[in-house]
Amino acid sequence: MSKAQSAAQSAAGTAPGKGPGPGARPAFAGDLPNPYLPMPATVIEVINESPSIKTFRLVLNDERAMRDFHFEPGQVGQLSMFGVGESTFVINSPPTRKDYLQFSVMKAGENTAALHGLSAGDTVGVRAPLGNFFPYESMKGKDIVFIGGGIGMAPLRTLLLFMLDTRKDYGRIRLLYGARSPQDMAFSAELPDWLVRGDLETVLTIDREAEGWEHKVGLIPNVLLEMAPAPENCVAVTCGPPIMIKFTLQALEKLGFAPEQIVTTLEKRMKCGIGICGRCNIGDKYVCVDGPVFTLAQLKGMPNEL
Amino acid sequence: MAIEQELQAAVKAALPELDCIIGWGPGPDALRDAPLFLRDAADADVLRAGFFSVNNPALFLPEYKGRKIGVLVKGCDARSVGQLLLEGLVRREDLFVIGFPCSGVIDAGKAAALIADRCEAGELRSVREQGDSIVLEGPDGAFSLAKKDVRADKCERCLFPNAMDADLFVGEKRAPFAELDEYADLAAFEQAPLEERMAFWEKEMSRCIRCYACRDACPLCVCRDQCVAVARDPHWLSQADGIRDKLFFQIIHASHLAGRCTGCGECERACPMGIPVLLLKRALSRRVETLFAYRAGIDMQGRPPLLTFSLEEPRIKERDW
Amino acid sequence: MSDRSFTPAFISFKALSGWLRALAQKATVHAPRREGRAVVYRELGDGQGLESFLRPTESAKHVLFPRSEALFSFQRQGEAAGAASGKIRLQEPEGEGPAIIFGALSCDARGFLSFDPVYDGCGTAQAVGGIAKDPYYLRRRANTSIIVRACKSALNTCFCHWVGGGPASTEGADLLATDLEGGLLLSPCSEAGAALLEHPDCVPALPEQIAAAAALHAAAERSLGEAPPAGELAASRAALLALFENSEFWQRQSAQCLSCGACTYLCPTCYCFNITDESNGIAGARLRSWDSCMSALFTLEASGHNPRAAKAARLKNRVGHKFSYYPAIHEGRFSCCGCGRCIKSCPSSVDIRKIVLAAIKEAAHV
Repeated sequence: MSKAQSAAQSAAGTAPGKGPGPGARPAFAGDLPNPYLPMPATVIEVINESPSIKTFRLVLNDERAMRDFHFEPGQVGQLSMFGVGESTFVINSPPTRKDYLQFSVMKAGENTAALHGLSAGDTVGVRAPLGNFFPYESMKGKDIVFIGGGIGMAPLRTLLLFMLDTRKDYGRIRLLYGARSPQDMAFSAELPDWLVRGDLETVLTIDREAEGWEHKVGLIPNVLLEMAPAPENCVAVTCGPPIMIKFTLQALEKLGFAPEQIVTTLEKRMKCGIGICGRCNIGDKYVCVDGPVFTLAQLKGMPNEL
Repeated sequence: MAIEQELQAAVKAALPELDCIIGWGPGPDALRDAPLFLRDAADADVLRAGFFSVNNPALFLPEYKGRKIGVLVKGCDARSVGQLLLEGLVRREDLFVIGFPCSGVIDAGKAAALIADRCEAGELRSVREQGDSIVLEGPDGAFSLAKKDVRADKCERCLFPNAMDADLFVGEKRAPFAELDEYADLAAFEQAPLEERMAFWEKEMSRCIRCYACRDACPLCVCRDQCVAVARDPHWLSQADGIRDKLFFQIIHASHLAGRCTGCGECERACPMGIPVLLLKRALSRRVETLFAYRAGIDMQGRPPLLTFSLEEPRIKERDW
Repeated sequence: MSDRSFTPAFISFKALSGWLRALAQKATVHAPRREGRAVVYRELGDGQGLESFLRPTESAKHVLFPRSEALFSFQRQGEAAGAASGKIRLQEPEGEGPAIIFGALSCDARGFLSFDPVYDGCGTAQAVGGIAKDPYYLRRRANTSIIVRACKSALNTCFCHWVGGGPASTEGADLLATDLEGGLLLSPCSEAGAALLEHPDCVPALPEQIAAAAALHAAAERSLGEAPPAGELAASRAALLALFENSEFWQRQSAQCLSCGACTYLCPTCYCFNITDESNGIAGARLRSWDSCMSALFTLEASGHNPRAAKAARLKNRVGHKFSYYPAIHEGRFSCCGCGRCIKSCPSSVDIRKIVLAAIKEAAHV
């Protein structure tokens, strides 16, 4: 079409032939659910995990919403303190245990500080579930190595408990969990069980010697190299602070794990949680909807911007 | 233009010793140059320094702290450099300052208003300086405007057209345009009753889109990423789209610049919505001049009055209250 | 959209304000007005002063995507003190009534096409929790008619034709207005646009008026600068990815950038936002406000880690989003309508056209 022709057409009010055309717009139904509206929930229990980490167990105030709540291991939720803000945390109770939703919160900013002030009976807002989840279907029949650092243990806990609840679907399951010091180790109430149960091999490590510590001392990647899990028919699932992840990935590659065998879950500053507000992108992927769970193979195909 | 060629030669000579030289080069439309970061002497031919070299290159200096860089400065830019030095935000030994006599810069908004019945500024094909005029090539042919009609107000008030404390000064120093009362316009504005002035600011601020170009274009705005405008701690400003909060930010900005603002006017020039925010800063500059006999960015031995403390300020007679 | 061909109308400049005031009886009409050095959209007053073409400094996006809006308000109930004790009542705001944007530029109307798929839930298409659509935007989008006023000529910052637009493009428009001698030719582009012409002063256009408008559109197209050869710009998608870790390139491109938000806030396609709470302790609101990827706080995590701490990384993301990431998930469409406001109003003369072309060139050399 020549310029003059297209101009003549536009004057007569027809489309220049590209895109959705004149007047096109998405439909709007009046009863559209509002994805920004949190569900009110009540705190039923607060567990002090470490000086900086608290775990909250919540039930949704709407009984039916609680009963029908469905999520997959690794999905996240937004916790609201009304008047303060909202931030994203993994739902770290497994979908197989439905009495409550559990979130572990490290005190880091304004909202997490406010969350740390909660006690049983208090009201919070929940928007969940959001994001993708661990590919547990494709992990069936395989050996699993969990490698968690600090608060990074929270998302792993979901999948770990889920796998323990569906134990026969998986091969050997090992957990390497590290923190700076014994005090920084979350889920201490559960650790004794994890250490003794026969269907899970648990190794704990801290960065530096501490009095009364009976487990490993050393940085996670080094302890991992000592453990030397065989990569054959195995999937490694890891989460932790950026520097730990960096060296853990190197260790796993050294042990012969292919990028497809390494699964991690990412953290980014998030606001909407539904792929609109635009801040959690890595290239064309949004951590809130395309993630937070990615394989290393996927990450390698994305721009390097963690 | 002879000065421009001399400056290009000076830049070529100086560049081998420097990380880069900040000056001006061609901009996206005819009425303005763009900041230029020269790293290669071969590119020096595009360097410009003249009526359209509006941006204040002092803005960029703190980013380069620790690296030796060159900077071309107009008189007003040099005052910003001076104030940055005084406050320890840049180090003198990191800088190679090249001055030249400034005959003022264009206020593109004034020019756009004057040519509105011919064309929009963005339709101009080219513009060049010719003595006291600029010659503009519009869609319907060439025409000229007198520089004095399109010069920025700050230039009409300017008392320091020649960069001070330059390592190299190219060209002849020139006298300021006029010995006019620097604050005459402010005094005139203040003749209006308080309600009228408040209404003026409310109307102006109603256009604010909160892009913070005013803040980010200010060479002396040093809080940068910690700015109270978006901080949650302290949580002073609401993000709601309200005029009072927008004006509140401008007042905070002006207060932070009291005794530090050199009047370069970049805040106002940067504002895409044309809000005259410099006036607020100048109101405080005048106050500081009255109270402390201090003008920012001029006296390298001086101390910015609000960055220091004197038990007895000679011009503030507390005991007489 | 409807295949029916619409009949163009003509309205004289004398009758223009009356027609717009009649429209304003049924909808909020937003129209450009010169205020100081800027041209801004304001709610229609007496409808005067619209005889001459005004190029708005800002885009019209705030009509559908306000600078700040309450997602909901909340109110604590009962006398208990403390941030979280007691019951809480959440209230969604009532949606506004219909709106009309008069005098949008063709690029502004096309800008909403970048918003549409994002706010219509495309990102969550695969999500387990279901597709999440943005009801605030979609309600306004459905309720707003857009009257585009064709540009008479291009500015040297205009590049709508690089990205599929043109001075009289009707994409995203309901009605196209063209300035003729004595009045406007009003060419409907949708049923909604045709409905706006049901007014006694909108008289059937004469064939010569339609021809005159077409000639003006063609002249406006000719005033546009040169565009890169067709297809060349599409190379930006791969080029920007290839240059992702070329920090020297991005340092150079971002050297003059002030890292302010003028570009993103004036942009008709930039749709990012922040969510923050305002509260007096008992009652408050959760606000959704414009946010800019050029701000360092945009990606700052609570831990202190910031994936885009440097302005070079932020500029890279802005350009990358528009010319690589967005097209990758939206059928190759750029998230840029070529309005040139980011260039025209940049206090530091950053030119996104130059950056994209430089990226394509640089990547080709590697």
